[in-house]
Amino acid sequence: MQVKLRVFRFDPEKDQKPRYDTFIMNVDPNDRVLDLLEYVKADFDPSLALRRSCAHGVCGSDAMRVNGRNYLACKVLVKNLNADTITVEPLLGLRVIKDLIVDMGPFFENYRSVLPYLINDEPLPADGKERLQTPEQQMRFEETTKCILCAACTTSCPSFWADDRYVGPAAIVNAHRFIFDSRDRGAEKRLNILNEQIGVWRCRTAFNCTEACPRDIHITQAIAEVKKAIITGKVE
Amino acid sequence: MTTTTRPVKVKRTFEQTAWLWMRYSAFLLIPLAWGHMILQDVVVGVHNINADYAIQRIANLGWKIYDIFLLGFAFAHGMNGVRQVLRDYIRNPQTFQVVSIILLVVWFVITMMGAIALLAINQPLGG
Ligand code: HEM
Ligand code: SF4
Ligand code: FES
Repeated sequence: MQVKLRVFRFDPEKDQKPRYDTFIMNVDPNDRVLDLLEYVKADFDPSLALRRSCAHGVCGSDAMRVNGRNYLACKVLVKNLNADTITVEPLLGLRVIKDLIVDMGPFFENYRSVLPYLINDEPLPADGKERLQTPEQQMRFEETTKCILCAACTTSCPSFWADDRYVGPAAIVNAHRFIFDSRDRGAEKRLNILNEQIGVWRCRTAFNCTEACPRDIHITQAIAEVKKAIITGKVE
Repeated sequence: MTTTTRPVKVKRTFEQTAWLWMRYSAFLLIPLAWGHMILQDVVVGVHNINADYAIQRIANLGWKIYDIFLLGFAFAHGMNGVRQVLRDYIRNPQTFQVVSIILLVVWFVITMMGAIALLAINQPLGG
């Protein structure tokens, strides 16, 4: 099938303003948007800049806007877009470094601010081995372990567009991952951080994050569980 | 033991309280605003609302209290919502704190004026 691919181009060091390059190409309906971008790089313009690594939806490096919605370019097929014009743009709310590459700095700063690692200073169990938990205790936070930090959620959030100091859905998902882990002792610290002006209360339940997540994480629900823990003072 | 419940100490913040009140006021607005709309627009009908009707309604202490609640909660909800909208444009946390306090004071003053006015009007029926 023939598609018209429109690609956002911008080099802040050279260009006054962004432009869109258009390519008419014959593609397979089963091609991924990432394949189309690779064709452009190989056959038309090797200067096109984008991040990608695994090409199999695992590393989280190629999140971008395709026809106005956030996807992993390597996980969205041409046939699933139901359109013969495909517009590819960088994620919103983060500074464009070049073409489809954005500055992930603020995103990872927010991620770090919620202490996304296991905190437990208590002595190890008597046998000196691992801290055990039941399968049920593991299932409590299983959902939020699936995050690959692609930023598709956070950059689809209107509150984040307004102010990139809002921790955003991805940081809350990763806080949830440890808050509800029975082996962790840092929940109180994280919940107090998320209770501040830039924390969970900036979430307006828009559900954009849940729709954008390529890992199908129930993000809005995870955020609600964190809000509930803050209000009730109970991690259940 | 399958799951664990752990207590945590989280100190209350202004943002948390404002978020909670957005929910409390919205919950109260379901009977208050809907009751008001159905009564005035459907049962009575907009074209039948005149000075006599207003005087008659306000003569009743129950309706006075209902109206004060409607004013207080709808206005609090609206102001709190405007505060949320403004937060998208005011990036400085201190400025935002000041704006929040101004909105709270405006809400309090206007609600008090409305409440005093409603309670002070005691015109005899047909007078
Ligand atoms: C039955 C009546 C109503 C219900 C149940 C209701 C419910 C809500 C809820 C739950 C929110 C919070 C959304 C969020 O932050 O996630 C909200 C926001 C808001 N409400 Fe209401 N509301 C009602 C009536 C009103 C009225 C009468 C007004 C105007 C005076 C109003 C103005 C607003 C505004 C300005 C916002 C903020 C919108 C935003 O964050 O962008 N609401 N409402
Ligand atoms: S929660 Fe989903 S959308 Fe957000 S960063 Fe993680 S994988 Fe990406
Ligand atoms: S390239 Fe790794 S997730 Fe798409």
